[in-house]
Amino acid sequence: MRGIFTPITKIRRQVFSEVAKFAFEHDIEGDDFGYFYESAYRIIPGEEPLYRDSVFKERAIIRERIRMAMGLPMRPTGTHQPLTEGMQDTADGKKRLDLPLVNVIPFACEKCPTDRIQVSDNCRKCLAHPCTAVCPVKAVSIGKNAAVIDQDKCIKCGRCITACPYHAILRFGRPCAEACGADAIDSDELGRAVINQEKCVACGLCIVTCPFAAISDKSEIFQVITAIRRGKRVAAIIAPSFVGQFGPLATPGKIVSGIRKLGLSHVIEVGWGADYGSMQEADEFIVHVPHDKKFLGTSCCPSWAMFARNVQPETSDCIALSHTPMVAAAKKVKELSPGTLVVFIGPCVAKKLEALEDEVRPYVDFVITYEELMGMFSAKEIELSDMEEDTLGTLASRDGRGYAVAGGVAEALVNSIKRRQPGREVPFMKADNLRDCHKMLRLAKAGKADGYLLEGMACPGGCVGGPGTLSLIPRAGSAVKAFAASSPYLSADDNPML
Amino acid sequence: MGKIVVEVCAGTHCTLMGSMDIIDAIASLPEIGHIEDGLNDIEVIPVPCRNHCKENMVGPIVYVEGEIIPQADQETVLAAIINKIRAQKV
Ligand code: SF4
Ligand code: FES
Repeated sequence: MRGIFTPITKIRRQVFSEVAKFAFEHDIEGDDFGYFYESAYRIIPGEEPLYRDSVFKERAIIRERIRMAMGLPMRPTGTHQPLTEGMQDTADGKKRLDLPLVNVIPFACEKCPTDRIQVSDNCRKCLAHPCTAVCPVKAVSIGKNAAVIDQDKCIKCGRCITACPYHAILRFGRPCAEACGADAIDSDELGRAVINQEKCVACGLCIVTCPFAAISDKSEIFQVITAIRRGKRVAAIIAPSFVGQFGPLATPGKIVSGIRKLGLSHVIEVGWGADYGSMQEADEFIVHVPHDKKFLGTSCCPSWAMFARNVQPETSDCIALSHTPMVAAAKKVKELSPGTLVVFIGPCVAKKLEALEDEVRPYVDFVITYEELMGMFSAKEIELSDMEEDTLGTLASRDGRGYAVAGGVAEALVNSIKRRQPGREVPFMKADNLRDCHKMLRLAKAGKADGYLLEGMACPGGCVGGPGTLSLIPRAGSAVKAFAASSPYLSADDNPML
Repeated sequence: MGKIVVEVCAGTHCTLMGSMDIIDAIASLPEIGHIEDGLNDIEVIPVPCRNHCKENMVGPIVYVEGEIIPQADQETVLAAIINKIRAQKV
C-alpha cells in the first residue's frame, strides 16, 4: 500500500534485515542455516496470530519470503522440502537469481473476488430504485431488504453505480490485478492469483499493493553480502532517485559513506548513465524521427520498454534502442575496473529482470532495492546520520539526476535535442503507469504522435514511486529536484565525463 | 496555547520501520484542522538514533512532548498528539 506504512511493509523489511543479519554475521560456509527456522518466530512471536487466522500460516508465509529474499524459489506446498534446501549453494557470492522473479505465495493469497459489482448496505431500497431501470441486461432486482445483482447476468457496465442516489453500489476487484497495468494476473484452479509470466514486466506494483502480503519478488542481498565477505570487489551504482530515501538526516554524502561502510568499493551515480542515454537518444531522435521512426519512446524504464514491445510489436522499432542508464553505468565500471562486481541499487524491481537478459548479465551482477539496502544498513547497525560526508564517484548533470521524477526524462531529452538542433520543436507525451502508457501507444499507432517523443514509466510519479522505495513520493520528488539543482552541469552535453 | 513538539527518530532502524511515514502523517494533520484546533502548532523534529533500538526497543520511536512511544505507528502518534492538545486546553 503506497504511502501508508502497514504491517505488510513491516514484514517485508523485517525479512530483509533478518537475511542481511545472517549474511553479515553468521557462518556462511557451515550449517548455521537453521537460523532461518528461528527467523519466523522472531518476526511472528508468540502463540496468537498477529494478522491472520493462524500463527502457523503466518510463519509459513514468512519462511517462503525468506527463501525468496535469499534468491531461492518457493517450495512446493504439497510436498516436503526443508526450508534450508539450496541455501548453502547460494552462499558463494555468485549470481543466483532466476525466473520467475515475481511470485504469488499461493497459500497466502486470499482469493479476492475478481471484478465484481456489488450492492453495499448503504442501499435503502428506495422507491425510485434507478439501478433497475438503467441496467441493460436486467441483472438488478429488488430483493427483500436491498437491491440484488445477479452476477451471472451482470456485464459490469457500471451504470447502476452512477445511478444510485446513495452511492450504495460498488465495484471492486483484486487489488493485485488493479495494480497490474500489464494484465498479467490470472487465477489458478483454486481461484488464487497467479502471475502470467509471459505478460509480467516486473513493475513490482502488485508486490506493494496486495493487502495480504501474498506477493513477493526475489532478492539478491544475500549474494551481495556473501560476495563482499568472500573478499570480492563490489562497486555500487545508485539510481538518481536515491536522495531522500533513507530518512531526513541521511544526506547524499552520508548515504555514500554508509554504502562504503557496508564494504562496497565505490559508489557511482547512475545519473551519469542517464546522461549517456540522453545523448544517444537525442541522436536517435534527430536521425530517425519522423522519417523512418514515427516517434521515439524512451528506454530508461525497462517495464515500459518491455511492455511497449510486447503489446504493440508493430511499433517496437520506435522504442529507443539503448539499454537503461543502469547498463551504461555498469559498463563504465567494468571498463574502468575489470573484474569488479557491480550492484545496482534502485527503486526498481524491473531492473532485476533486465539484469537477467543475456546482453546485460556481463555488466550488472546484482540488483537490489533501497528497501533491501536499508535492511542491510539496519543489520550492520550503520547509523547514516553519524557518517562523514563522502562524494559520489562519477557526477551526473541536473538533467540526468532529474530522470528519477516523471517528466524528467522527456525534459532531459528535449534539452539535449535542442542543443543539437536549436529551434527544433520537440512535442512530447508522457505517462506514468502502464495503463496510460498503453493508451499513449494506441494513440501513437493511430498516427496521433508522429514526430513525438514518448516518455513511458510504469510507476506512478516515475522512479521515485517505485516499489523498492521508502519515502513518500512528494517528499522524494523534492529531494531529487534539490539534488539535481546542485549539479555543476545543466545537461548531458555539459558533462565532461562523457 | 503552546507548541507541541514531536521528535521522530530518523535513525536507521526506525526509518526502516516506517518513521518517515509517521513524519508525513503528522504533516497531514492540519488538513483536519477544522475539527480540532491547535493542529497547526506542531513542530516535528527528526532526531538521530538515541540507542533505544540497540536496547531491544522496537522502532519507530517517537517522543511526543518528551513522552516516549516505542513501536509507534500513525495511529498511536496521532492519538497521542491529539491528547496532548486536548490536555493543554483544559
Ligand atoms: S490482492 Fe493479494 S490476496 Fe487478493 S487476489 Fe491478489 S494476491 Fe490474492
Ligand atoms: S534508530 Fe531509532 S532508536 Fe535507534
